[in-house]
Amino acid sequence: MIKAEPRTILNFLHANFDVVKDLFSYQIADGLITKEVYDMLIQKHGHTMNIRLREYRVIRTLGSDYEMRDVYFKLMEFLLFEFKPLLPETIEKYKTSISELFLKIRKYENQDRDILQERIKNLSHQVREFVDLVERNTFRLLAETRELKSNIDRVEYREKVHKASFWIEYYILPLNRILDVKHSESVTSTVLDVSEYANRRRLDFQDETIRTEFEKLYSQLIQTNTDLLRQSKVLVNELLPLLERIRTESLILTGWIEFLRNPYKMDTPPLLKGTRTMVYAKDMLYKVREFFEQFSVNDYVTLEDGVVDFDKWIFDRELFKGNLTKSLPVNDFFSWCYKELQKDFQDIETDKFFALCGLLFDGDLQIEFPKKAERVTLTTTTSTISLPKIKIEQALKIK
Amino acid sequence: MVYPSNHRQIVEELMGGKFILSNESHFNALKENEAFYTEFFKISFDLDLNLKTEYAFLLSKDTQENFSRDVSIFIAILCYELDRDGRNFMEALDFNEFTFEEVDRYFDNSSFIDLIESNKSLREPDARRTLINGMQRRNIVSKNFDDRFAFTQAHKVFVDFAKELALKRMAVETE
Repeated sequence: MIKAEPRTILNFLHANFDVVKDLFSYQIADGLITKEVYDMLIQKHGHTMNIRLREYRVIRTLGSDYEMRDVYFKLMEFLLFEFKPLLPETIEKYKTSISELFLKIRKYENQDRDILQERIKNLSHQVREFVDLVERNTFRLLAETRELKSNIDRVEYREKVHKASFWIEYYILPLNRILDVKHSESVTSTVLDVSEYANRRRLDFQDETIRTEFEKLYSQLIQTNTDLLRQSKVLVNELLPLLERIRTESLILTGWIEFLRNPYKMDTPPLLKGTRTMVYAKDMLYKVREFFEQFSVNDYVTLEDGVVDFDKWIFDRELFKGNLTKSLPVNDFFSWCYKELQKDFQDIETDKFFALCGLLFDGDLQIEFPKKAERVTLTTTTSTISLPKIKIEQALKIK
Repeated sequence: MVYPSNHRQIVEELMGGKFILSNESHFNALKENEAFYTEFFKISFDLDLNLKTEYAFLLSKDTQENFSRDVSIFIAILCYELDRDGRNFMEALDFNEFTFEEVDRYFDNSSFIDLIESNKSLREPDARRTLINGMQRRNIVSKNFDDRFAFTQAHKVFVDFAKELALKRMAVETE
């Protein structure tokens, strides 16, 4: 029995919300509030806090430790929107309670009016609790899944695969079975049966008070069906694909990281080795091979110098100089050159003629130019040359 | 004996190490004659045909093939970097186009730089382009423009390979 006024308790909660919030957090983390934690909080906030928490029945002792009472825990859960996902088995119990009440309502509908009215009210309460739990669970699962997707906690890919698989297997799929209206054993299908029954009875039940109760129940169940359908859609269309994707993505990345640790020691997909298409010729390989093979023959090859048809006249300065010296004095040097060449060649070529004329520049010859402009005309294979008559004598040697 | 339509094209492409994709017209001829081609490749060349709903290719006996390894490393690093960049890599491989510039950025800033540097097909941007061109010849990627490419359904061979590897490793750890 609490002596304090409700308003006083609410004022206490308002004034000391942070303390209650801390207690709630410890309870969520450890499942209870240890003596050490509790003593530390009391030491910080004073002994009066301990008296008030016990007086307003916020906490209760659990051996040497403490725990937050359920009503306050649920209030804090609701206020902070921090629901722990419930295992679907916990939610599934509502199927039994709803079915039991529904069965009794139908079976004893013509007996005591008061108990019938109570049963309808209880049924309504059970349905409300059921929907509330489903909504909270879906909300929490969605939040957890989004957190896993954003991966703020830097969870490893392998851990993500485990988490996603765990939620799919133990939470999402069972919850979806509970909500699946097509499944005859689902809670939703039972709620639908109750709804149909309430719809009939709100119109044809004899007692007006009960008719009103059925009317209220029916209105509530219509809303319930809409809510459950919405939750089911969230599960099937958003939560399940998102978790499946997280699982697949994480699985692939786990595989890739495993592969990249030592890519040269693992067998990769066995693709057939393709042959490259050559743009020039398909049998290029064979042609190149043939080309190179001809060089791999090791037989000795002997090359002989052939008789070259080679007619290159080389001017022998010594020979012609000797001839000129023997002929000295020469009255007409250019004619002498011409005659000299005629001894060997029938036709005199210009370059041969000029080569022989080069003797003129030898320093040991004395050159005398004619006093009159006497010239001689000579014809080579390509030219007709007009040249002065130059007299050559042996140079005087000074002793 | 009457051969299926597109017989020559099917044999030439598969023997060239190319994937035949479900959106190609000769894929249907291959699928309709799956039993024939499975036997044909087995008896003629001792090769196994791998025909999935989205692609088909011939399995090699040589598991040490460098091309497959280089492509696996390329896709592995790309997936890892896309995920690190906050992108949905599965969707990106399925539907997105990648520019060479984008790929270069991911590879140049990758934490797997040692591995990239040690692989001659991935080390340089030009080498990566050559690898991507090789992937195009095999139908693993398609190129609509010179500077960009998109993965075809054939990339799933490599993604499935990663999945199997992860499952195997996780199974070993569970034991």
